[in-house]
Amino acid sequence: MGSDGTDRNTEDLFFVGSDDESTAGNAPMNVDGEIYMPQRQYSEPLFLGNEGSGDDCDTNKTSMNLDEETHEATSRSRLEPLFLGDSEDDDPLYPTTPSSSSKGKRPMIKELYESDTEVGSVADIPRASSASSFSDRVSVSPPPITEKIKEKRSPKKPPLKKRKLSLSSGLPIVELDVNTFAATYIGEFVVSNAWSNVSGNGYVKHNDPVRIERDQKDGSQPSSSKKGAGKPTTNGKKQLSIATMFKPQPVQPSKKKADSIVRLLNSRGFEFGRLPQDVSSWVSKLLDLSIVELRGKMTDCPERLSTGASLIITIDVYMLPAAFVPVGHTTSEHRSKLNFSEGSETQGELELRERKMAILKMFDVLGLKPRAGAIQGGGKNDERLHQNTLTQIGKQEVKAKEIVGDGEEIEVKEEEDLSKNDLDMIYEKAQHSDCTLGEMEPADTFNLTLRGYQKQALFWMQSLESGKSDAREATSMHPLWCQYAFPIKNDSEIIDLTEDEKPFYFNPYSGELSLTFPKAERNCQGGILAYEMGMGKTIMLSSLIHTHLASGEDVPEAATASTKSKQLRLDAAFKPAARRKPFKSPNATLIVAPTSLLAQWANEIDRSSKQGTVKVQIWHGQNRLDLDAAMEDDEGDTSIKIIVTSYGVLVSEHAKSEKSSHWKSPIFETEWLRVVLDEAHACKSRTSKTAKAVYALRARRRWAVTGTPIVNKLEDLFSLLRFLDFKPWSDFSFFRSFITVPFLARDPKAIEVVQVILESVLLRREKNMCDANGKKIVDLPSKEVVFENLEFSMAERKLYDSIYNSVKKNFDQLSARGLIGKNYTHILAMLMRLRRAVLHPSLVLSPEEDRALSLCGDGFIDIKDILDAFQENDRGSASGSRVFAQNALANLGEDASECPICMDVMDKPMIVPECMHQCCKDCITMFIATCEEKGQEPGCPTCSRRPIKANELIEVVKPQNSAVSGPAMKQGTQVILRKNNFQSSTKLDALLQNLLRLRDQDPCFRAVVFSQFTSFLDLIGKALQRERFDFYRFDGSMDVKKRAAALNDFKSTSRTPKVLTVSLKAGGVGLNLTNANHVFMMDCWWNAATENQAIDRVHRLGQQKTVYVKHFIISNTIEGKILQIQKRKTAIVKEAFRGSGTGAEKESVENLKIMFGEE
Amino acid sequence: MALPKRIIKETERLVADPAPGITAAPHEDNLRYFDVTIQGPDGSPFANGVFKLELFLPEEYPMTPPKVRFLTKIYHPNIDKLGRICLDILKDKWSPALQIRTVLLSIQALLSAPNPDDPLATDVAKHYKENEKDAQRVSQEWTQLYASA
Repeated sequence: MGSDGTDRNTEDLFFVGSDDESTAGNAPMNVDGEIYMPQRQYSEPLFLGNEGSGDDCDTNKTSMNLDEETHEATSRSRLEPLFLGDSEDDDPLYPTTPSSSSKGKRPMIKELYESDTEVGSVADIPRASSASSFSDRVSVSPPPITEKIKEKRSPKKPPLKKRKLSLSSGLPIVELDVNTFAATYIGEFVVSNAWSNVSGNGYVKHNDPVRIERDQKDGSQPSSSKKGAGKPTTNGKKQLSIATMFKPQPVQPSKKKADSIVRLLNSRGFEFGRLPQDVSSWVSKLLDLSIVELRGKMTDCPERLSTGASLIITIDVYMLPAAFVPVGHTTSEHRSKLNFSEGSETQGELELRERKMAILKMFDVLGLKPRAGAIQGGGKNDERLHQNTLTQIGKQEVKAKEIVGDGEEIEVKEEEDLSKNDLDMIYEKAQHSDCTLGEMEPADTFNLTLRGYQKQALFWMQSLESGKSDAREATSMHPLWCQYAFPIKNDSEIIDLTEDEKPFYFNPYSGELSLTFPKAERNCQGGILAYEMGMGKTIMLSSLIHTHLASGEDVPEAATASTKSKQLRLDAAFKPAARRKPFKSPNATLIVAPTSLLAQWANEIDRSSKQGTVKVQIWHGQNRLDLDAAMEDDEGDTSIKIIVTSYGVLVSEHAKSEKSSHWKSPIFETEWLRVVLDEAHACKSRTSKTAKAVYALRARRRWAVTGTPIVNKLEDLFSLLRFLDFKPWSDFSFFRSFITVPFLARDPKAIEVVQVILESVLLRREKNMCDANGKKIVDLPSKEVVFENLEFSMAERKLYDSIYNSVKKNFDQLSARGLIGKNYTHILAMLMRLRRAVLHPSLVLSPEEDRALSLCGDGFIDIKDILDAFQENDRGSASGSRVFAQNALANLGEDASECPICMDVMDKPMIVPECMHQCCKDCITMFIATCEEKGQEPGCPTCSRRPIKANELIEVVKPQNSAVSGPAMKQGTQVILRKNNFQSSTKLDALLQNLLRLRDQDPCFRAVVFSQFTSFLDLIGKALQRERFDFYRFDGSMDVKKRAAALNDFKSTSRTPKVLTVSLKAGGVGLNLTNANHVFMMDCWWNAATENQAIDRVHRLGQQKTVYVKHFIISNTIEGKILQIQKRKTAIVKEAFRGSGTGAEKESVENLKIMFGEE
Repeated sequence: MALPKRIIKETERLVADPAPGITAAPHEDNLRYFDVTIQGPDGSPFANGVFKLELFLPEEYPMTPPKVRFLTKIYHPNIDKLGRICLDILKDKWSPALQIRTVLLSIQALLSAPNPDDPLATDVAKHYKENEKDAQRVSQEWTQLYASA
C-alpha cells in the first residue's frame, strides 16, 4: 500500500485536472486486455482517496475490525473502486462468486473479462469497443448478467423487435460522445444529516474520503428476474451488443424493493453510516443507473462514532458516460403516447420518469442551472421548478411538464404577452433574421423577374428541398432540451484555465442527457410558405418549380429519396404497396388549390414560364382526363409536368380509393416530386376528409402555402406539420403533449416550442416588413377605406324594425330562460334574416311578396309603345287626354316640374302609365307601399285613377352619357323610359349612385363588388343591368370554366366600365383582381380579416393605382353592431387562442348580447 | 324629426295666399298643428258663421290624410257631436297630391252640400232626410248660436 501512495498522488492530480484525457486514453487498451486492469484497479482507489492522508488510517482500522461485514468489506476493498460508478453492478456477481473469497476478486474479474470478450465478440464487437471508457470502468461485468437474464426471458423476445430497431438507429449518434467522455465533475453538495450506523473510534475522521455505495444484496437475483419482466424491452431485445449500454438496468431490482439505502464506507471499505432517506431516495437511483459517480469527503463527524450520530459529508458528483447513453430517446415518443392515450405508465416509463426526477433533483441540489433552452427562467425559479417537479412525482406526466416548462419570471411576463397575444409573437422567431436571408435567381425558363423577397423565398425553399442545409441558420436548440454547462471544480488547485466550459444538454421531459447539441431538426423536404396574401406566393412556387429542375440535383437525391418515400408510404398506411411501375424518379408537381383558384394557378404558371417549358394540366371536373397519360412524358419532352387539382377532387378520389380495395386513384398512386397545397389551411382540421386525403398523397417534397397557417388555434398548425411529415411533430400525440396541452395550461413554453418549430419550417413575410435596407419589401399603392353610412328609406326601416323587434323578442325570451346556448343556431338564423333585411327587402320577403326577383330583362321600353297603348285605351274618349299625354312625354326631361306629393322638384320622375301623371319615384313608391299596408287600393295621386301598380309605373331616366343608347332613346329629348319593375334598396341605390358617379369621372373604371349573399348579388346584377353596366359574376355555384371566363372577361381591356360581382366566400381568397381599383363591400362579415382578405384581392401585388374601398353601412341596424363585434373580434381571436374550452361559447353569447343590446 | 319640406311649403302658401273664407295657422310650438277657421258658404244654412277647426298633420303625412275636426258645434249630417267629419278624402280616398288647402276647401264644400246618404250624425241625417227645411232651420239656429262670433 505504501507504494500505492506515491502512485496515488500523481494519479490524483492528474485526474482532477483533466480526467477526460486520462480515461479516454486508457479506454481502448482496457477493453482489449486484462494486462492493464490491475493498474486500473490500483489507480482507482488511489484516486478516491484524493485527500491524501488515508493510508495510515487504513492500516489502523483494519486491525480493529473483526466482524463478518468488515471482513467482507476488506476483501472487497481493493476491488470496489472499479465499480464505484455503479456499485450495484457487483450484486449479481455475488451469487456466482464465493462471498468470502479472501483472495480478492481479481481472478473473478478476469473471468468476467473473458466472458465479456466472448460475448462481445459474438454479439457486437464494435459496440464493445465503442463503449470505451464507460465500458471499461463501469460496464465490464454486466454483459454476462444480461445474457443470463435474457436467457431466462427468451420467450419474450419477439414482441420486442421494434424496440431493437429504434435502439440501434439511435445509438450511433451517441457513441461518439461517449467515446470521448469520462466522468466529469458537475458539482458538489453537502449532506448534513447523514448518520452513522456503527459505534466506535477510527472508522472515519474529518476530511477522510468517503465511499458512497449502493447496497449489495444476495437476494438480488430473484428480484432482478422479477424486475426484468417489467423491462423486457430493454434487456431481452437488445442482444448483447447493446447490453453494455444498459448495463445498469439489470441491477435495478434492488431498487424495486423500495430499497434506497445508500451506504457510506470508509476508504478501507467499512460501512460506517448511511445517507439520509431524503438524499438517498434520489441518489440511489442515480447510482443504480450509473448516471453519476459520487466521491464523498467527510466534512464533520464526531471523534467517536455512535449509532445514529449525524455526519456531514461533502459529495462531489461526477457524471458518468452512461448518463449520456440515449435510454430515453427511443422511448420518449412511445412514452408520451401512452401517457396521453392510456394514462397508465408501463414499467419502463416509470423507470424513465424516476430517472428524470432523480436527475432533476440532482441538478436542483447541485444548483445547476440551464444556460439556455427549455428552462430559461432565473435561477431561483428553476429551483422552485425542480422542487415542484419533484413534488409532482406520482402525478401525471403532464403536470410535471407544465411546471418544468418555465420559470416564474417568464411565466408572468409571457402571461401578459399572451393576453394581448398576437400571432405575430408566434411568427416572430420565424421572421427573426429573415431580411438577411440569401437570395436566389430563378432558372432561365422562368419568365418573370422576382422581387427581392421573392428571391429570398426561392432560396429558402430551394435549400429546404435540397435538404442540404438550412437556409436559415437553425441555431435553435431542440425545443425540449436545455443546455447546462459542466462547472469547473473550483477547489482543485490545478485547473486548466484555458479550458472552456463544456456544455451538456438535458431534456427535462424525457430525462435524456446528451453531449451533442440537440439541434431543432427538420427532416422533411418542404415547409410552410406563409407569406401574407398578395405577395406573389404563386409566382414564388412557380419559380421554385422551374428552378429546381434547372439545378438538376435530382440525381444525388434519388438515393436518399427512395428511403424517404418508403417512410411516407408507411405513414399512409391504408395504401397497399403501389403497383410497381418501372422506377422513374418522380418529376411532376401536384398543386392542390381551392376550386376557384385552379384557373389562376394554371394561368400564373403559364404566364411565368417561357414557352414550352411547362405543361400544366387542370385535373378537375367530371371528365378528368387520364392522369397517367398526362404524366407520361414523350421521349425527349423535357417540359415540367404540373397537375393542378382541387381539394374537392382530392377528397372524392380519396373516398373512392377508400371504398374499393383494388382500385387506387392515380393521384394517390403517383409519387409526386412535389406536392403544393395552396391555401393549405383548408386542411387545418386533421380529422376532416380533406386533411385525410391530403395526408395520403405521396410526395418527396411538400409545401403548404397559406397566409394563415394558424387560423385560430395552435392545432391548425398540426395538420400542416402532419402533411409535411415534419417529425416528431407530425405525430399528433406528440404535438398534443408538447404543444396543445401545455398551451391549454397557459404554459408559454408551448409558444416557444411552436416558435422553434416554425423557425425551421416556415417562412413568413408580411407586406409591411422591411428588407435589409429598411425599404418596405412590398410597396403597394395606398388604400383608402371609407365607411358610407346610409339611412333606410321609411319603408325599409319599417320592415327592418318589425323583423328586428320580433327577433329581439325571441332572443329576450330565450335569454331569460337561459336557452341561448342551445338555440344558438336558431338565433344565428334570425340574425341572418336581419342581415339580409339590411341589404334589400326582397331578401326577407316571401316570393309572392317580392317582385324584385321575379322579372327579367332590363325593363327598357319605347316611348312609342306607351303612346300607342295610350291611344288604344283612350280610343273614343276625349282626345284631350291624349294630347296631355303627348305633351307630358314631350316635356319629359326638359324641365323640372313639381312633384305633387313632396311638392319639390321631381327626383327620378315616374309616370303613371294610364294618365301620364308624374311623381317622384320615392314619393309614389312610398305612397303605394302605405296604401298596400293599409289594404287600400292605391290610385294616382293626382287624378285618383285606380288602381295603379308599382311595377307598371314608368321611370324616366336621363342618361348621363352617350354610351347608353338604344331603342328607348327618344329623339331629341334624351330621355329613357324604363319600367319600374325593379325594387331597389338603400344599399343598392348607394352602390348605383357610386358607380354612376364613377362612370362620370372615369369612363372605363373597374370595380369589384363583394357580398356574402348570392341572392343579393342577383339583385345587384339586375340593378347593374338596368343601369347598363357591363358586369360579371363570380360565385361558388359556377363551375371552373365559367369562373375563368368571368375573370377573363372582366380583365380584358375595353373602353367601357366594368363591374365584377363576387361572392365573398368564393372569391375572397386567392383571386387576383388587380386590374380593378374600386372595391365595394355591400355587407359586413363577422370578422374584419375576411373582409380584408377580400379587399386584398384588389390591393395586392401588381396593383398600380390607389385602391378605394367603400363599405356601405346602414345606420342604426345590426350592421353597426357587427362592426362593434369586428373590433371585439381581434380580441376574441386572441382570447379563443388561449383555448379555454367554454370561452368561445361565452364570447358568442356576449356577442349576441351586443347584437341585441341597446345602443 | 325635422319638418318635411312639403309641410313648410304648404304652410308658407297658406299664409301667403289664403283660400277665400279659410284661414289656417300653425301653432308656434307644433308646426303640424293648425288652427283653422272656415266661413260658412253663402247660400247654405251655415252662411255668416265662422267655424273653428283643428287640423293635425300626422307623422306619415302626406302619405296619410291630415286629421281634421270641428271645434265649433255644428248641425250637419256628416259631422258628429264631437266635430268629426265624414269625408272620403279624409279616409280612403286620400291622395298625397291633396293638400291642407284642398282638404279645407273640400270641407267648406261639404257645408254647402250636406250628404245625408252617407251620414255620421244619424239623427241629423234623418232630420235632413225627413224634413230638410226644418233641419236647415236648426242648422241656421246653431250657426247663429255657436258660430256667430
